[in-house]
Parts: sequence; C-alpha cells; structure tokens
Amino acid sequence: MLLSVENLEVKYGNIQALHGISFHVNEGEIVTLIGANGAGKTTSLYSICRLTPPEAPRVIAGDIKFRGESILKTRPSDVVKQLNMALVPEGRRIFGNLTVMENLELATYSRERHADLKDEYQRVFDLFPRLHERRKQRSESLSGGEQQMLAVGRALMTGCNFLLLDEPSMGLAPRLKYELFRTLKKLNESGMTILLVEQNASLALNLAHRGYVLDTGELAAQGTSAELLGNPDVKKAYLGG
Amino acid sequence: MLATIIQNLINALQWGSFYALIALGYTLVYGVLTLINFAHGDIFMVGAYIAFFVATFMLSAAGLPGWAALALTIPLTMILTSMVGVTLERVAYRPLRRKGAHRLYVVITALMCGLILEHANLALLGASRKAFPPMITEHVYNIGGVSFTNLKVAVIVSAILVFILLQWIVTKTKVGMAMRAISYDKFAVPLMGIPMDNIIVATFVLGSGMAGLAGILFAMSYPILEPYMGALIGWKAFIAAVVGGIGDIRGAFLGGFLLGAVEILVVAFFPSTFRDLIAFTVLLVILAFRPTGLFGVAKTTKI
Repeated sequence: MLLSVENLEVKYGNIQALHGISFHVNEGEIVTLIGANGAGKTTSLYSICRLTPPEAPRVIAGDIKFRGESILKTRPSDVVKQLNMALVPEGRRIFGNLTVMENLELATYSRERHADLKDEYQRVFDLFPRLHERRKQRSESLSGGEQQMLAVGRALMTGCNFLLLDEPSMGLAPRLKYELFRTLKKLNESGMTILLVEQNASLALNLAHRGYVLDTGELAAQGTSAELLGNPDVKKAYLGG
Repeated sequence: MLATIIQNLINALQWGSFYALIALGYTLVYGVLTLINFAHGDIFMVGAYIAFFVATFMLSAAGLPGWAALALTIPLTMILTSMVGVTLERVAYRPLRRKGAHRLYVVITALMCGLILEHANLALLGASRKAFPPMITEHVYNIGGVSFTNLKVAVIVSAILVFILLQWIVTKTKVGMAMRAISYDKFAVPLMGIPMDNIIVATFVLGSGMAGLAGILFAMSYPILEPYMGALIGWKAFIAAVVGGIGDIRGAFLGGFLLGAVEILVVAFFPSTFRDLIAFTVLLVILAFRPTGLFGVAKTTKI
C-alpha cells in the first residue's frame, strides 16, 4: 500500500469537514474520489499534502500513512521532496507572473542541483507540445486548457511518481477533457500512481481502477470502477440516472 | 550653470542611493509577504551602529589599516544586520503568520519592533551621539567647477551594483523565482517542494543586508549616529518605495532616486527648511495621479 488514510477527521476552525474517512492507494493504481461539492474531496487532498491552515484543515483524529509510516508531521515541501507526491490543485494555481518555462523550472526547486533534467522537460513537452510553443510567454496569457497542461507539467517536473489531481477537467472543453484524461492514462501506464478527485464521476470512473464516493465528509461507497458504475445508488446520485 | 546642475545631480544621486538601498528592502519584503516592514528604517539604524562597533574594533583593537578595516566592516555589517532582520522575522512575524493573523496586526507588530530597536539602543547605549571613525581619507575632486568626493562616488556606485545584483537574483535564480511565485500565489509554493520559510528568510537576509550596507555608507558620509536616525530616513525610503510602486524592485530604486532629486531640487531654490515639506507634497501629487506608484500594477504582480 503506497498511501493509506485511516479514520481521518479534520476541522477548518470549528467546522468538521471529514468525519473519519478511510481509503488507500496502491502503487501503480488510478484511484478516484468522487462526490458532490463539499463532500470533502479537496479537503482530503490538502490533508494528504500536509498543507497548513488557514487554507488547509487541521487533523484532529486518524492518520495518513505513506508506505506504512505516518506523515502527519511531514512538511508540505517534504511531501514533494521526500515522498515524491505532487498535487495539481483545483483552479490550476499556476504562477501567472512567471513564464511557462519559469513555472516548470521552479518545480525542480527541491531536486538535486546538477541533475540532468533535459529528458524530463522533453517528456513534458512531448505530452503537451503547446507548452513548448509558449514556453517564453507569461503563463497568465495561456488559455484555460494550456494552463491546465502547465499545472500538470509543473507537477511532473517535481519528479513525482504519485500524482494527485483536483478537478482537472473543470472548465475544459470536452475535447480537451478527453485529451487530458488520455494523457493521465498514458502517465499511469508508464508507472505513475494517480489519485484523482473529480466531480465528473463517469469520466473519472472510466479512467480509474477503483473509486471512493464521499458524501458530506463520510465514505458513502467504494469499490472497483466497474462495481461503482453498476451500483444503482451511485448511478442515481452521481451518474445522472 | 551646467556645473551647478551637475553638482546638484551628484548630490541627488548620493541621497537617492541611501533611499534606494533602504526602499529595496521595503519593497522586497512587501512583494513576498505583503507586509510593510515598518521596522526596516530602524534596521538601517542598527546597521549603522553595527558598522560603528565593527569599524571601531577593526581600527583600534585589531589595529588594521583603514582600507582593510573597511573591507572587513562591509561584509561583516551586512551579515550581522541580516541576522537582526531574520531574528525579527523569526521572533515577531513568523508566529503571527503561523496563526494566520490579519495583516493589520503584523504591521502594528512591525511598528513596535522598530520602536523597540530604537529604545533598546537608547537604553543600552545612552542618548549621546556616536562619532563614526573615519576609515578612508576623503578626497575631494574638482572637475570643471563640480566637486565630488570618492565617498560620494562609492555610495552611488554601490547602490547601482546592488540594484543590478538584486535584479539578477530575482529574475534569474530559483530563489528569486520562488520569491516572485510567493508574491503571486502563496498557496501553490509548497506544492512545488519549496519550503516557504526558507524563501522568506532569504528575503529578509537580502532586505536587511542592503539596509546594513546603507547604514555603513551613511555613517561614513555623515559620521554622527543617534538612535532615531533611522526613523525619518526610513519613512522617506518607504514613501520612495510606494511612489515607485511598492513590490516592484525597479520602482523602489527609481523612487529612491526620484525622492533624492526632488529634495535637492527644492533646496536649490528654497530655504532648506522647506525641503521635506515640498518633497512630500510633490510625492503626494504623484500618488494622486498614480495611486499604484510609477511601476505599480494594481494588485496581481509584485516584485
């Protein structure tokens, strides 16, 4: 088990956002968390990445383990540096005042000073040729789809082998959505573990191996993607009938 | 006539250099933390005092010749002053940041830190002024009716070099990139594997180091030190940073020189007691037309 979340309870100020949820991700898997707004999906990702208040919640009970060891005391920058996990946050959060290339370079901040990263930049540019075309532009000037590519490319440049994505399809045109999901599949096939948070449940379940359904901070259902796609309750609530 | 203009220009550049060096520290910290570090003027004062002690030690206790003393005093003062700045960050600002305190409280804390530095100085060293020991002999050069000293030239050249170096750090190095990234979106910075506190410490090291340098240069130019020497010049540098567009390095630099120029210009035509009144009024007018400052872009981009 690469990552396991165990009976996790977290609070934002006085408001409890997760009421003891458990899930896990195995190496090489694509796992998805689905659920409505406010179900606790983003909160789960922030907790795993050990982000700090006020944006992120405070853990009050339960544990988060990486390869069996608790990471509750790990600094957010070390989640990236030591555990090689990278989050593509909701809304992309790219650095608009930096160029595309600077965004990618900045993501290599914690890596060895003289590491040869040529191949890795090349991999990002192979996945997203648009980024190469626009590498000298201020990233603010990119379209929404290109910004999402940059957000994923940037996460890859941290040297991660575990990618967490928060609503990556949001605001993308259908064609770009499918393109992005094909890219995620390609990454997974080359060994990337993926934890995907999505509101678009059918899109997510068609990509993922397994999934968990969250509902107002609690686990409502879990299973393989096929099971969840066939589950009448899940169908009714999240798949539009 | 031309000689007078050039003469005034040199004086303006010298004062502008002091303002610019201090303004850069204000703008850097503001760009990264959106914190107006009101203690910064007093960090400059502490820098001048540190320079005083280091220089006195080098000259008398260590018995070094002036140039060697100066060569050691500059880096030592900059390092020690940086440590003072970082200590303030650690002791005063970081705990507030951890608790997610509102910016107002952090600014008030900064003001208090400045007062504490002033009054700690007063309490520990007494109210008497200190005379800064001369380390180099000032040569007065006279070219075509324009007179200037080697020290004045050194002050101006230092300010320009520091600006170029800082601009390079901020645009070309990863630490500088991280500073710009923080100023755009603090949230996403740790996601890149960047320890935010390290970048903030680096910001304070740079800002305070420059204030320390300004402290030595100022003390060498005007060798009388007193605990409140940082207050007015600090305010002026802050205003220079705002007029330039706070958060923007070029803005702080040019704002500093602009303020220096306005002051000298006023003194050229009016009694010197009018200097600050008219200088500040001019700046007020500039801000009325460009509230974000000369280089300021409303909100999004800083540094």
